[in-house]
Amino acid sequence: MSKSKLIMGISVLAIAGALLIAADHLDAPSSGGTTADIADFFAFEPTLGSDNTTFVVDLQSSVLPDLAYGSFDEDVLTEINIDTDGDLVEDYVIQAYPQNGTMYFFAGVPVQTGLNSQILADSPLGEVVISGSTAIVAEGMNGTKLFAGPRQDPFFFDFFQFNAVINPDVNSAPMGFKTAAEAEDTFDGANTMSIVVEIPNSMVGTTSTTNALGIPVYKTWVTTNRKQ
Amino acid sequence: MNFNKFKYSILTLLAATVLMACNNDDMQMEEMAVATCNDGIMNGDEEGTDCGGSACEPCADSTAPDFTGTFAQADHMGRPGINTTLSFDMDGMPSVKDAHNVTIPSEMTATFQAGFQARLEQYHDVYANKLGLDPMDVNYENNILGLDAATLTTVLAADALDVAPDAPTTYFDPGTDADNDGNILVPDGDEVALTGRALQDDVIDVSLILFFGGMNGDRFSGQDLDNDGMADLPRLTSDGVALTATINSDFPYVSAPE
Repeated sequence: MSKSKLIMGISVLAIAGALLIAADHLDAPSSGGTTADIADFFAFEPTLGSDNTTFVVDLQSSVLPDLAYGSFDEDVLTEINIDTDGDLVEDYVIQAYPQNGTMYFFAGVPVQTGLNSQILADSPLGEVVISGSTAIVAEGMNGTKLFAGPRQDPFFFDFFQFNAVINPDVNSAPMGFKTAAEAEDTFDGANTMSIVVEIPNSMVGTTSTTNALGIPVYKTWVTTNRKQ
Repeated sequence: MNFNKFKYSILTLLAATVLMACNNDDMQMEEMAVATCNDGIMNGDEEGTDCGGSACEPCADSTAPDFTGTFAQADHMGRPGINTTLSFDMDGMPSVKDAHNVTIPSEMTATFQAGFQARLEQYHDVYANKLGLDPMDVNYENNILGLDAATLTTVLAADALDVAPDAPTTYFDPGTDADNDGNILVPDGDEVALTGRALQDDVIDVSLILFFGGMNGDRFSGQDLDNDGMADLPRLTSDGVALTATINSDFPYVSAPE
């Protein structure tokens, strides 16, 4: 995307009064654009039939100018929450906390649930030196794989057209999104600060809850938490 | 100088030296004796102020990580795009998007479902107006999962991403119908979907299909109804873009920054 197009897009947004980006980039005024802004969250089997689950958390994004991007904030704890009994309260947490160029990981049953968290300092999972552009990967407990550093932002979305689509002005994108030939991925070329953890399911434990199709699942969400 | 005077001088000098030596010893002994670990002064054999050495607690390594303290939630995310697309400020709830980020998931449905459903309907009204139709006539229709607006927004309001430990990962695969019963993702126990989110999954198109696609997933897909080469219905079920980042097969899977 050319810079002038980007600036034009931003000024259109300013007029529309809405600056919205999915997946979770800039999703809300208080967190948007800060070092604690969650950009994205992924959870998947690394290979078909694997006994591990991979979690990818992206913080910050360079998708728009003037956003926080480039280093992890040492006051921000990232927490992957896992509910295994369907009450939407975390039963197991994986924490990532950056200090002095290293990302420290912890995992276990949370000391407290809800909006305030403490680091599970007595349950270390491992640590990895925060990468530059070349990935440094470390192995933690039980074969856990750990990574933290800048990566491409894998999210793809025609963000400017989305804002035109939801604009109630009858002349704004009356025919909706663009065709594949015309649409542009706003995130093409954007980077993000990524935390990647691959953990054996046996560490998380079994689950007694299911998805809408009756398949047993972990219910997961990620939070960022700022030191008080 | 006479001898007496010389002797006196020597004695004085010696005495002074001895005294000084004694003084030095006294000082050292005194420092050792009052190895103070709480006076705010680095003394004795302390390695830092009031720490280290033979008497005090070891000094804290200034480069050691600090894992203490309380951390208050700033942002939340489960499924992609939920807060972005479905939270909107209303009378009496002026900061819904911010509120969503600091609400625990077990309380989300009660707090946000009604607003999400209203927002979903509002999107349909926007397009009714753009098409020159009565908003009362253009409403959400049950989607490809068979969910009505209330059920869909109830599911989505509890913002957690399902990930199956023992099933293949697919955010949503509308092509799955293992028993060939003609039902695409109508829960009958044979389909696999909603089992996680892979890096390649087109989550925006999935969300759009679930919001605007109706029962077959293509309700508003830019159809050309009169075959004049121009779309007569808006394209709301796909944003038209595909993955542009490079995904690798080995950990950490996402490519180096551009």
